[in-house]
Amino acid sequence: MEKAEKEVTLVRVVDASPEKVWKAWTDPKLLKQWWGPDNVTIPECEVDLRVGGKFSITMEAGEAMGPYKGTLWPMVAEFTVVEPNRKLSYKANAWTEGADKQDTMIDQTTDITFTEENGKTKVEVYAAIYKTGPKAKMAAQGMEMGFTQQLAKLEKFLAA
Amino acid sequence: MVEYKTKLDDIFHSLADPTRRDILRRLGSEKTGEQTIGELAHKYDLTLAAVSKHVQVLEQALLVRKRRKGREQRVSLSPAGLGQADRYLEQYRVLWEKRLDRLEDFLKEDKQRK
Repeated sequence: MEKAEKEVTLVRVVDASPEKVWKAWTDPKLLKQWWGPDNVTIPECEVDLRVGGKFSITMEAGEAMGPYKGTLWPMVAEFTVVEPNRKLSYKANAWTEGADKQDTMIDQTTDITFTEENGKTKVEVYAAIYKTGPKAKMAAQGMEMGFTQQLAKLEKFLAA
Repeated sequence: MVEYKTKLDDIFHSLADPTRRDILRRLGSEKTGEQTIGELAHKYDLTLAAVSKHVQVLEQALLVRKRRKGREQRVSLSPAGLGQADRYLEQYRVLWEKRLDRLEDFLKEDKQRK
């Protein structure tokens, strides 16, 4: 039985209706415009919006990332909850392309809820990171290095 | 942040030694798992003192932990060792914050276009 190793929760109130926010979150054309932090582009995005459907999105480090330019962060997920304008959940694997997939793989589930508030929308993001038992044990050493590499690259993304 | 940098140094120091790397591999293996100091000394043909030193380095890096069972010290992988996961998690949170910043900007622009 997997236990969530770590969780993050974020809440934002955005100035748009739940319908607009839902669309931004589920239309690949729109997702590409905001999913990545600055200096990151989204070369690929696929959304099969149904429970069990595929959600895949790849971030690519841009010019401003210098030596990290071109680093790809693919994420492949499966929707577990699809309630239009209310709730969206998916479970995902994300890794750093070019590094050992086994070492850098992060398993995560993400739940997003949208609640209307006076014409605006309260967006709550809950993300939990899991490690499966065997992978964690066997890849202990490699994972540590993997994490360290990922951290360096992630920091580059975020410092932009 | 300084704290995390030290931990990274400890981890690199741990992993720099082949015997320590192999100890981690052994502890992480499904077949062997937890080991006593004695078992490790035997496996690597080292004195108890030498193995203890290695284990101490790994413990300092939070990669392994020891527990006493009777007269033996049992060594196992420490979940906290992937305590760098805490840092990763923090960065992950920042990633989401930035992402939501961009969502807000995107929706604002969209609104203004109307």
